[in-house]
Amino acid sequence: MGPVAGVTRIGDGVFRVDVDGRSEIVYVTGPPGDRWAFWNGRTYRWTGAHRETEAGSGSRRRHIAARMEITAPMPAKIVAIKVREGETVKSGDTLVVLEAMKMELPVQSPSDGRVRAISCREGDLVPGDAILVELE
Amino acid sequence: MIRRLLIANRGEIALRIIRACREIGIETVAVYSDADRAAAHTLAADRAIGIGPAAASESYLSIPKLIDAARAAGADAVHPGYGFLSENAAFAEACALAGLVFVGPPPSALARMGDKIEARRVAADAGAPIVPGETPEDQSDAGVQRAIEHLGLPVLVKAAGGGGGKGMREVHDARDVVGLVQTARREALAAFGNGTLYIERIVPAARHVEVQVIADHHGGIAHLFERECSVQRRHQKVIEESPSPALTASDPALRARMTAAAVAAARAVGYRNAGTVEFLVDQDAGAFYFLEMNTRLQVEHGVTEAVTGIDLVRAQLLVASGERLPWAQEAVTARGHAIEARVYAEDPARGFVPQAGRLLLYREPRMPGVRIDSGVVEGGDVPVQYDPLIAKVIASAETRPLAIARLAAALRAFPILGVRTNVEFLIQILEHPRFQAGTVDTAFLDREAASFVRSEEAPDFVRRAALERPSAIGHQPSDISGWDPWQA
Repeated sequence: MGPVAGVTRIGDGVFRVDVDGRSEIVYVTGPPGDRWAFWNGRTYRWTGAHRETEAGSGSRRRHIAARMEITAPMPAKIVAIKVREGETVKSGDTLVVLEAMKMELPVQSPSDGRVRAISCREGDLVPGDAILVELE
Repeated sequence: MIRRLLIANRGEIALRIIRACREIGIETVAVYSDADRAAAHTLAADRAIGIGPAAASESYLSIPKLIDAARAAGADAVHPGYGFLSENAAFAEACALAGLVFVGPPPSALARMGDKIEARRVAADAGAPIVPGETPEDQSDAGVQRAIEHLGLPVLVKAAGGGGGKGMREVHDARDVVGLVQTARREALAAFGNGTLYIERIVPAARHVEVQVIADHHGGIAHLFERECSVQRRHQKVIEESPSPALTASDPALRARMTAAAVAAARAVGYRNAGTVEFLVDQDAGAFYFLEMNTRLQVEHGVTEAVTGIDLVRAQLLVASGERLPWAQEAVTARGHAIEARVYAEDPARGFVPQAGRLLLYREPRMPGVRIDSGVVEGGDVPVQYDPLIAKVIASAETRPLAIARLAAALRAFPILGVRTNVEFLIQILEHPRFQAGTVDTAFLDREAASFVRSEEAPDFVRRAALERPSAIGHQPSDISGWDPWQA
């Protein structure tokens, strides 16, 4: 048995868990703050409850929850910016169109909100995780 | 016979080719970019040569670097795999000039089939039906718009320079024409260096069915039946199978007509080596239309290998060495059913954006009737620079329902952690009633994918396991107290 009742480690990152008399196999990996698990074709991920990012070069930190930063999912070129600062957007609206791997990828708003700032320009090459648009 | 083969590719297909070479005693030379120094294909080959920076344009797409590497390694032949330079006539010519055997068709066939407008002409002349369409003489926005109006909406705008969904856009509304034409042209220019567009009518409820062909240098040519790849997301194949449910449900004469048309089109361009002729099938009308020819080994070739028992890469190497096809058409038979699922590093919950990162945990299932072609290992990276394909899982069984069940079972036992993948999405497709009924058309996934609900919430017992000490690679020697998945 492992530290948690009903959980037996049966291999590197592999656990058998007793569930109402039957057993399930769960795979677990990742450091604290970014843990992954796999069970029966499904993947689960837990990142730190209060994820924070460094702001600029200073030590000032801010909570993402306060406002939403839309970031590039991968290194990409900005093909088009579809919104203006101050504009209200709905969930699913296209904010920015990227080009990566020779495909155009629309970046859509994950929720309703207002465009607080646009942090990229058309034609820019941006690294993965670069902030493109801030919503509030 | 080829003695030493340079593989101008990476990832799973490089490993697939190395495996075939091992079996028949050909030495292998891998090439690798700076991002692939420790990649599985780099380590697996008999020797490996660095060809420069991570950017494909400066490594895997650099003809001079590949030719230099082949010379330095004393290779006598080059296999291009798929993607990268596999359909590049200039590369095939450069190989020939350097005295290297190119494992593929002659440059002339690559060039003619590579120009998708010329390919339509070749196929039509060979007697294959083609999708009604137009090539605007005037390639300006207004010129393409006039051609679209003449053909009538809805239409598919396509790039003359190549396929794979790049530079391709469906147009349903007259108001979108100019914007979509501009997007298609930009993509086509970026992907193929050729912004020429043509227009095809959209075949309603079309099924994608393709025929595998292979030709030797002595006039021998054979087809290896068909594969159906109607499960596509934005014109990218996701699931492939053989035999085709569309053809199995149709008049048996349709399969015979399509395989004959494929062989005729290949013969008409003087085709050599392995290639695939793609068709759209309008099942209700019992009609089929030539789409394009892929002048290389396909990603999904393993499906054909599973039902025919033929090693296509070995056949490619024999044919390239000047030997005759190792079997006559009559000797080629298919048995049972095979289905392949492409496992990608991508996030279905966020518009399928490609993912990159370290594979903290990666365990391939081992089961009878399941083949996995992959190019990664646990602890290795999925680099951002290249195609995010992680693995191809191919299940074969006596019947289609059994093959589907076997593939789903394999995917349920295939943990990949550290990057998001489409594994759950693939299982959802396999379990969809329409897929199981074999009635899915090429628009199915784009229409239905949004309705696939993903279960974000982890069951309690998964959370309990997640509190345990994780796998060695994913574990960092820091205190996990203060981190609580119950709060996450």
